[in-house]
Amino acid sequence: MRFTSPIQAFIAFLRRSLQARYTFLTVVLSGAALVAVGGFLSYSIGSGLFSTRLDQVLSDSSRSVSEVQNTFSASSATDEVGLQSLMNSIVPMLESSTTSEPRRVALMRSPGQSTTQILQSPISLDLDTTVIPEDLRVMVRKSTGRVVFQSVTLPVVNGEHPAVVVGAQIEVPIAGLYELYLVYDLVSAQQTLDFVQSTLFFGGVILIILIGGVAYYVTTRLVTPVRVAVEAAEELAAGALEKRLTEKGQDIIANLARSFNSMAASIEGQIGTLNKLSKMQQRFVSDVSHELRTPLTTIKLSVAILEQQRDELPENAIRSLDTLQSQLTRFEALLGDLLEISRYDAGAVTAEFEMADINGIVGLALSHIEPLAQARSCQMVVDLPAGPVFAEVDGRRIERVLRNLLSNAIEHGEGKSIDVAVGESDTAVAITIQDHGIGMTRSELDRVFDRFWRADPARKRTVGGTGLGLAIATEDTNLHNGWLQATAKPNEGSTFRLTLPRKQGVLFTQSPLPLGVKKAAAKKDAKA
Amino acid sequence: MTHKILVVEDELEMNRQLCEFLANAGYETQGAHDGGVAVELFNSYAPDLVLLDVQLPVLMGTDVCRVIRETSGIPIIMLTARTEIDDVIAGLEAGADDYVKKPFDPSELLARIKARLRPIPTLTDVSELKIGPLVIDVVGHEVRRDGVRISLTPLEFSLLQTLAEKPKQVFSREMLLEKVWGYQYKADTRLVNVHVQRLRSKIEDDPEEPKIVVTERGVGYKAGQP
Repeated sequence: MRFTSPIQAFIAFLRRSLQARYTFLTVVLSGAALVAVGGFLSYSIGSGLFSTRLDQVLSDSSRSVSEVQNTFSASSATDEVGLQSLMNSIVPMLESSTTSEPRRVALMRSPGQSTTQILQSPISLDLDTTVIPEDLRVMVRKSTGRVVFQSVTLPVVNGEHPAVVVGAQIEVPIAGLYELYLVYDLVSAQQTLDFVQSTLFFGGVILIILIGGVAYYVTTRLVTPVRVAVEAAEELAAGALEKRLTEKGQDIIANLARSFNSMAASIEGQIGTLNKLSKMQQRFVSDVSHELRTPLTTIKLSVAILEQQRDELPENAIRSLDTLQSQLTRFEALLGDLLEISRYDAGAVTAEFEMADINGIVGLALSHIEPLAQARSCQMVVDLPAGPVFAEVDGRRIERVLRNLLSNAIEHGEGKSIDVAVGESDTAVAITIQDHGIGMTRSELDRVFDRFWRADPARKRTVGGTGLGLAIATEDTNLHNGWLQATAKPNEGSTFRLTLPRKQGVLFTQSPLPLGVKKAAAKKDAKA
Repeated sequence: MTHKILVVEDELEMNRQLCEFLANAGYETQGAHDGGVAVELFNSYAPDLVLLDVQLPVLMGTDVCRVIRETSGIPIIMLTARTEIDDVIAGLEAGADDYVKKPFDPSELLARIKARLRPIPTLTDVSELKIGPLVIDVVGHEVRRDGVRISLTPLEFSLLQTLAEKPKQVFSREMLLEKVWGYQYKADTRLVNVHVQRLRSKIEDDPEEPKIVVTERGVGYKAGQP
């Protein structure tokens, strides 16, 4: 198998392995659950951290604002220098007064005032005032002393930090309204949150790997008895009928083992019975044939002795002797065919396959049938390929099949010519034997391969077949994994086609020769 | 010269019919109904050929065959109702030259008997043949190895002589069946295999690695190079 992409290969792998499939499914589902739980945890921890910090920041800054306001209100400074130095002291005071992280401070004059004193706005050294959003400043001016805040991002050397800017308006004596801004860097809270998130993430990854491992272990534990059962079933199918599973416990696996074992026992019993029956049948056939052989031999000897004295016998006795002789031949043929077919029924037939030239076998069958053909003045029209046609066959059986078909063709061919053809393809060889005699009707054709069936019971039997010829031919063909087929038209003739694989195990789907009833080319000659 | 045939067959009717049939065909016959009598008659009657049923009371046909072979090489034809490979092989290995299956055609049996009693035709007019270390005296029907006579049955002698007459030719089993056994049609090639084995056990130094009668794989047998 070739895969066009790794994904397809992975899907194919999942299809093949039950463990992998269920491990994968478990990992995917628990991964999804972990992502949901982790996301929720991360969100709630994050927002918890933020709101705690914000509360802290707000109370801290409220205190600072009122402190600053109080400082200014309580100040007795009335000149610019005094106020400026007080104002300048505010920033370092606020920068350092906080217990937690450092904050940055800006004290800026609200715009749009016309006071006599304009003081410089002190700002923390590391604060860029652009961080303070303009809309916050507007809100501060409107809030009249209340503390307002806004979340911002604070640019730092490499990146930026989350931060909160808290602002409030301060009234400075003489100088007018100023805005105090406290910038709280929330990076430590963010770091805490980052740490919590990374812990959650790595914990989740480790958990998923562990879950995958556990799932694989569990499914393997679960699949192992199934795999053992599969192996046992395969061994059983391969013929190890005594194969059984160990039955342990009360669960579904134990039930599987019990069901498997009872099935195996039943199969073993059935096959044992069949084997016994088959052996009995074979034994019976062998016994019958053995018992019949001695009397048959004695009868043949008696006939031979009578034959030796033929000249001394009266004429009617000679006629009886001839009848005896011909019937004896038929009896023997019938016995032989019966034994052969019962060997097939008992499954006791094995073929001896070897590479053989089909043309040669056809020739042998034709030479065997020659005397019969001559007696019926039957012309054989043979069409063979130029070279040898090799196929792996049991030559003796195929020759017998052909002899049967030829003898049938002569019997029903009414003395007209008989066409014999051999054809070949890469996978198969075929022989057709066509007569131009009485043919068969559809219903006759359906029964032509049945045992002891005869085309027309009223017709005189001249060739004296046993009625088993085509049945044995069918068995011989099946032994070769071939086809034996027939087609016929009443009063036009019948065609039998034998198709065999080139080699045993080679599959063929088409016969090299067509199966049909053609008008005889030699028909005129035959009539004339 | 009228040949004498000992008919060993336990079926009385068949034995009688066989004797009568063979007598009509011009042979002198004597019937025996069990293996013990057969061995006695073999000694007292001195037949030229023995027809031997396999299934016999007292002494089995194969055993009778073995006893006869201890002292004599006369043609033995087994009559067998059993065609199982083992039975046929057992009979041939016990020393039978040929076999016919019941129910046999009497004319076929007659042909087999004639073939076995017919004198061995010689193709060459040479009186002495050599095959490996063996010297075959065609006229005297003797085989010597380093001057020591080796006892062969007429069939084995005929087999060896056929191979020795054309030392360069490879004989197929079918050819040997025709030349040595006188079969005109396809017969059981195991006859050849078994008798080649028996012959080798008498003439070869090591029958497992034959040097006189050599197997040509897939073809047949030929005489080994001297």
